[in-house]
Amino acid sequence: MRTLISDTQLNRRRGRIVYRIVLCLVVGGFTLVFLGPLYWLVTGGLKTTQEVIQNPPTLFPHSVHFDTYGEAWSKMRMGRLLFNTLYYAFGALAFQLVFDVAAAYALSKLRPVLGNVILGMMLATLMIPSAVLIVPQYLTVLDLPLLHVNLVNTPWAIWLPTVANAFNIFLLKRFFDSVPDELLAAASVDGAGPLRTLWSIILPMSRPILGVVSIFAVVNVWKDFLWPLLVQTDPKNQTLNIGITSLSTGVPQNVVIAALAIASAPTVVFFLIFQRNIMAGLTAGSIKG
Amino acid sequence: MNRDRLLRRSVALVAAAGLALTAAACSSSSGSSDGGDKGGSADAAAPLDPNTKVTLSIDCEPPVTKAAERKQWEDDIKEFNKQYPNVTINAKDASPCEEPPAFTAQLKGKTQPDVFYSYFTDLNQVLDEDGAEDISAYVNEKTVPALKDIDPSVLATLKSDGKLYGLPTSNYKMGLLYNRKLFTQAGLDPDKPPTTWPEVREAAKKIAALGNGVNGYGDYSATNQGGWHFTAELYGLGGSMTTEDGKKAAFNTAEGKQVLQNLYDMRWTDNSMGATQGLKWPDLMTQMSSDKLGMYIGAPDDITYMVQTLKGKYEDYGMGPMIGGKGALLGGNDYLFKKGSTPDQIKAGIAWINFKYLTVGKGQFQYSRNKADGLPVGLPQPAFFTGASLEADNKAKAADATVPVANYAPFINTPVPGKTEPANAQQIYKVLDNAVSGVLTDKGAGVDKLLSDAETQVNQVLASLQ
Amino acid sequence: MRQTLRRNVTAHGFLLGALLCFALFSWYPMIREIVMSFQRTKRGHTRWVGLDNLDLLTQDPAFWQAWRNTLLFTVLALALGFAVPFVVAIVLNELRHAKGYLRVLVYLPVMMPPVASVLLFKYFYDPGYGLFNNILHTLHLPTSAWLNSSDTAMISVVIAATWMNMGGATLIYLAALQTIPGELYEAAELDGAGLLRRIWHVTIPQTRLILSLLLLLQIVATMQVFVEPYLLTGGNGPQGSTTTVVYLIYQYAFNFNNYGAASALGLVLLLVLAAFSAVYVRLSRNND
Repeated sequence: MRTLISDTQLNRRRGRIVYRIVLCLVVGGFTLVFLGPLYWLVTGGLKTTQEVIQNPPTLFPHSVHFDTYGEAWSKMRMGRLLFNTLYYAFGALAFQLVFDVAAAYALSKLRPVLGNVILGMMLATLMIPSAVLIVPQYLTVLDLPLLHVNLVNTPWAIWLPTVANAFNIFLLKRFFDSVPDELLAAASVDGAGPLRTLWSIILPMSRPILGVVSIFAVVNVWKDFLWPLLVQTDPKNQTLNIGITSLSTGVPQNVVIAALAIASAPTVVFFLIFQRNIMAGLTAGSIKG
Repeated sequence: MNRDRLLRRSVALVAAAGLALTAAACSSSSGSSDGGDKGGSADAAAPLDPNTKVTLSIDCEPPVTKAAERKQWEDDIKEFNKQYPNVTINAKDASPCEEPPAFTAQLKGKTQPDVFYSYFTDLNQVLDEDGAEDISAYVNEKTVPALKDIDPSVLATLKSDGKLYGLPTSNYKMGLLYNRKLFTQAGLDPDKPPTTWPEVREAAKKIAALGNGVNGYGDYSATNQGGWHFTAELYGLGGSMTTEDGKKAAFNTAEGKQVLQNLYDMRWTDNSMGATQGLKWPDLMTQMSSDKLGMYIGAPDDITYMVQTLKGKYEDYGMGPMIGGKGALLGGNDYLFKKGSTPDQIKAGIAWINFKYLTVGKGQFQYSRNKADGLPVGLPQPAFFTGASLEADNKAKAADATVPVANYAPFINTPVPGKTEPANAQQIYKVLDNAVSGVLTDKGAGVDKLLSDAETQVNQVLASLQ
Repeated sequence: MRQTLRRNVTAHGFLLGALLCFALFSWYPMIREIVMSFQRTKRGHTRWVGLDNLDLLTQDPAFWQAWRNTLLFTVLALALGFAVPFVVAIVLNELRHAKGYLRVLVYLPVMMPPVASVLLFKYFYDPGYGLFNNILHTLHLPTSAWLNSSDTAMISVVIAATWMNMGGATLIYLAALQTIPGELYEAAELDGAGLLRRIWHVTIPQTRLILSLLLLLQIVATMQVFVEPYLLTGGNGPQGSTTTVVYLIYQYAFNFNNYGAASALGLVLLLVLAAFSAVYVRLSRNND
């Protein structure tokens, strides 16, 4: 495909040289900028407490200490933190898939009375920055209206608010809108109810958008900081982000770095394995959405 | 499905609440019927009847990572239950015991345990949320035998409008912590720590001259802790943060300027504080335990932290009196009683706190056990006893000392009067953070301007809080 | 008629879960936010105080400083976080090799937990043993105090934030660049347009829509910055140089226990962002 610079231009002798230089610079520079810190992260965890704060720093660890990783794992309760984070992330994903898909389907295909008003009110929340609502939202989970249940230190405090995600509903609804109504009419003639239609016609067609919504759902919980800081106060329930921040004060720098490496590993590895699907999904979702 | 589970959950909660109510009802009825001869729960001043059946929740149980303290806590509960077999204590562990958002959360949600941990400075916030029960009627020489020997200035921090709301479990006075190893290396006498700011400067210069990233003196300047340390340093010189009535700033004085000027001179003229600033708890301890820091002001239990968590050695750390010697910032922690607790719960809570924290030779003061469990004995903290209890405690402590007590002799032998933190401390500290970080990060900083700006700001803040 | 009713009942049944969550965690908190802005709680009693909370805020010098800092952060973050991904995307789009590898690299930090990236940068920023100063020193360049000076603290925060977050924007730009029809470049080239003029006259106009949308989203997102300064400088930074509006909300609510003032500040933030969006919509309409 033709881009800014044409292939003919690149194929000229000067073009080839310039291209080679630029390519080397970019590949080298990017590797340094984006992989360099990760290298430092992994090797930092292998250094001794003294070496890790040595001036000048060392490029290679003098001696390799794998036990720092073991220490980080046990001292920072990494297993617990990882499990919690996964539990919150996938729980949130499940709730969003069920409720947001159902809602988007209702708004797109069942078109109830006041549907547009509801959609409008949902989309209006996109205009409200999450940080603005942090205080009243927090007071709400402390004492849920009508039910008077305190959700703090329960997974519900993370799961339920993620459902109120207008962006998901918007993405899903737009995708569902593109499913031809004739298809649904045919199914309805065959006697399929709304649930069957959703399950066996719409969902199979919507895999790409479901993938995008899923990635966003998991990544959002994985990366969130202020909210879990407030609602998961019990050390037993904390997420990676919060647990590491609070426990890092009590251990030497090399153990902290090892813990950071461990914390980064799952998502980074997952990303490297599924990078093709993830990137395709992300770009497709953002452009079409 | 979601709604369903929520519903079920709330039903379960209601059921649990019902059970708790029944339990409470049972407990109070059993208390008053069985305990007729001793007054029972009807009489607030009477100690807990040993047969009373009562359940109470309490926080700040040592976490499993602190194995020795955890075991002691569990043993103490067993011991306590021998005397009070029907008291069930549901303990919750945490480390640290209090974090501001979590603490605020439980006050707002009224989910704090029946007996809950707090810092001395929290009382106002707790009362603002109507979160604590007045226990004045319950605390007397019978329920807390050592009461008369508890430092009145400590008890004063737990009182509001003359009513007592809590009991202390530990407290500290700040002083100068120093690294004895670095002192020796720098040719300083580790048994004679500096006691005035010019001496501190001299010592810091010599220590920093050791090179290899070693700093002479360190100070916090972030997350409101810069303001906290400024306050401590100002108290040392005899200054005050606010006027008596707490309505106006009172730190823009010669003493306040001296504090900032000292920091400025050490940072920029002597270059003895290093370029890394914006420090916050526990950065200074981390530095000192890795032998990169000579001196800072702190509390005695920083030493415990440096040894137990950061793997330092007791013999490397010494403690001297607060620089200036006119006043030492006094702080500590305590247990408060949740608003709405039953009289029996309050009595049981007081009995437990008395046993665990306020009886010489028992609980936290059972030094022989601390020694056997590898916990430090001999640190000058807690320090709320006076009179006969102090004497008895000191004797017991000396007998089982595991830490080099002589290292703290300069601190113990030069008693400095304690001074509590100002009202609305956090708001004031936030402002002073700027002044402290100003002199530590800006070579062109003007002490007078920083201080008068801070004064204006604190006055504004205090005025708006009235 | 009955069918319509049934369809409506089913539809609202499908909507119920999401509706409840929106009601509880978005709509109700929004109303509460407004109400609380005009209230104050003391000793367990809540009373109406009118604009007193706003008064209290405007008397707090940290309020104005937080706004200055937040705007500075936004401007810097846009200069870096908007321009850098765009340039990177253009370069990546021209490369015929290693494209997949480079795309993965750029997106890698996005997948890391923010705490890992931030604490790693904090370690790099250390003026003594930190990597950055040692690199500068080796190259005989002047070193910096990074987070330890009110002059450089904010830019240090922005650099870390850009490294962490630029992957997302880069991918979106890249996708947008790929939608530009090649004929446009060809035509421009025939007209004798050089490289920069082609970018100016083809690339930018063709991606304007996505550019301007991302710009607005980034403004709204960066004005809510919290985690980076909170972890890098403890929130305030040297002389309050990294105090942001959201950090101030956090302080008022959770350190000063003043939910009224915190809510009022949240409301002000909301109004400012709303004004921003309105101006943006107005401008983009005029342009069309």
